[in-house]
Amino acid sequence: MLRNWHLPFVVVLGFGLLSGCSEPSEQLRVGVAFETLQTEYWVASIEAIEAELRRRNIEMIEAVADNDANRQLDQIHILIARGVDGIIVSPKDSMTVIPMIKAANRADIPIVIYNRPPADNDGKSVTVVADNYKIARATVEYMAECAVKTGRKYKAMILIGDLGDINAIGRRDGFDDALRPYSDTIEVVARVPTEWSQDKALSGVTNALQVNPDINFIFASTDFLFPPLISALRTAGKYKKIGEEGHVLLGGFDGDPLAYSMLVEGYLDADGVQDVYFDSAASVDAVVRMHQNQIVESIIRDPGFVIHQDNLEEKAGQMWGAQIARSKDLTRLQL
Amino acid sequence: MRLSGWNVSNLGLTYAPVLLYAGVIGTFGILSPSFLSTENFLNIFVQCSAVAIVAIGMTFVLLTAGIDLSVGSIMFLCSAIAGTSVLHGEFPVALALLFMVIGGLFCGAVNGYFVARKGMAPFIVTLSMLFVARGSGLWITQTRSMNLPDTFRQLATTRLLGIPVPVLVLAVVVITAHLILTRTVFGRQLYAVGNNPHAAERAGIDVPNTLMAVYIISGACASIGGMITLAQLAAVSPNLGQGRELDVIAAAVLGGASLFGGRGTAFGAVLGAVLVETVRNGMNVIDADPYVYPVIIGLIIFAAVLLDSTRHRQLAKLRRRKIRTETS
Repeated sequence: MLRNWHLPFVVVLGFGLLSGCSEPSEQLRVGVAFETLQTEYWVASIEAIEAELRRRNIEMIEAVADNDANRQLDQIHILIARGVDGIIVSPKDSMTVIPMIKAANRADIPIVIYNRPPADNDGKSVTVVADNYKIARATVEYMAECAVKTGRKYKAMILIGDLGDINAIGRRDGFDDALRPYSDTIEVVARVPTEWSQDKALSGVTNALQVNPDINFIFASTDFLFPPLISALRTAGKYKKIGEEGHVLLGGFDGDPLAYSMLVEGYLDADGVQDVYFDSAASVDAVVRMHQNQIVESIIRDPGFVIHQDNLEEKAGQMWGAQIARSKDLTRLQL
Repeated sequence: MRLSGWNVSNLGLTYAPVLLYAGVIGTFGILSPSFLSTENFLNIFVQCSAVAIVAIGMTFVLLTAGIDLSVGSIMFLCSAIAGTSVLHGEFPVALALLFMVIGGLFCGAVNGYFVARKGMAPFIVTLSMLFVARGSGLWITQTRSMNLPDTFRQLATTRLLGIPVPVLVLAVVVITAHLILTRTVFGRQLYAVGNNPHAAERAGIDVPNTLMAVYIISGACASIGGMITLAQLAAVSPNLGQGRELDVIAAAVLGGASLFGGRGTAFGAVLGAVLVETVRNGMNVIDADPYVYPVIIGLIIFAAVLLDSTRHRQLAKLRRRKIRTETS
């Protein structure tokens, strides 16, 4: 005979058994195909996805294409042949991902595109991407407000990413639109194409500072370009802390550990942060829900946020670079 | 003395690359007078010094009708070794730089061994080295960027007699390479091997040893190029040197080296590297539309190579001995 206190226990156990019966007996397997792991952002992303999959007891099969779109397509075919239950792919660009989407669709395997949205196509996929335009615009607007407060005139430079990358274009457009209302205070005098390369960024920034030594407002489309930017500024004697005479207003995008360190040290004014934890959780959630035949919106936008000197304490907990820097005791990186 | 039409065209063709370079400088100079400042020219030499040094090493390889696709990865691997030695091993910077040179020599020797002793195609051997070196570098760095102490950057920014150290290093490398190519038996043997390896072998030249040496030289130059890049950036990024092999081959070919061997000079490689960097610098200076950069650089490379091949064809025609055949 069941006692009264046994009843809820039995009900919970019964629900547990029933829900256990409704779950597939085998562990899910998700293929995660990244185009590259060559920046801190990509490493942090794949690690966050791996952690989220592990938390949900899903097996991960990893593939990295080393910047080769053809190899990535082969890897997608191999993942399909291995019978994965879902694919998360971070593609090289918006075009080369389309055959991957088509291949996954033919095999009826859900596919989530991480960080780079595909070009228009009739395939079925879900894209998880940071709102590059909005985050860049908000970051540069904050910098512009800082500039206006000083009452001085500014000459600006932007380090543009790869012109074939839609994310780079979104960030550039965000920069342009943010500065348009401030044209009487801030004049854009240099646009340096970097192709996401530190070497090219160094020579471009050095050349621009050579011709325009009075540049005092710089936005880097990725934090990955901070090392050459710092090197060029130091050589020109312009790497100064906020509040020091000759400080160059600096902004970046990504939220990596070096950016966090620069914020803490007082060299960086603002940084647009892609929320890696949101992106990875949303990607895994989308692939699982698609596997369960649930309806998932086709684009999940990471709103991101801007971290700056005024909200550093409040926002650092959400900044992935801050977590890495703190966990590895890198709060004071070599600058 | 009057110059005949033959002399003028001969002179024009002989100095075609220099004329092209003068045209590039003139155009950017008109568009932005600040382009013509001494400091800007020094800046161009500093920026291209790494590529120029690696291109000199590549010229040695191209002279033997070989190719070295691994130079960019060797630059990265050596930089990763140096960065790790300093940051994690707490070795002094000088020792880290020595490790870089040893790393470059070792990679070059491995390339040379398989090309010279095992008779494997240079393209395949160096392509394999490209992957092995980059993979090893990524493994060492765990794909993390390394920000290095300011001592590295001081190496790139220090000036001796007003000349930046990278430019001095380039000067030492180019003069040494020029002397080797023009004043030594080894240099003459290189051209012979490149023109006809079988004839060179029959003439008593040790072709395998010669081939081995050029890949070691290329590896050493790649490590020195990596050293300069590392000093300029004061950071090791996971994509350091990526795609550099193409810049380097373009610089060597722009400077007159032939992909089929037997032709090329050390100063030519430097001129090629300087030309590409001058165009890039000029577009920065005039704040050109970023979309135009690859188009202009591609057109200039095409024009230079076209000019060079036309020049060689025409000069060969002009210098051909005219033999009149007897008619009966």
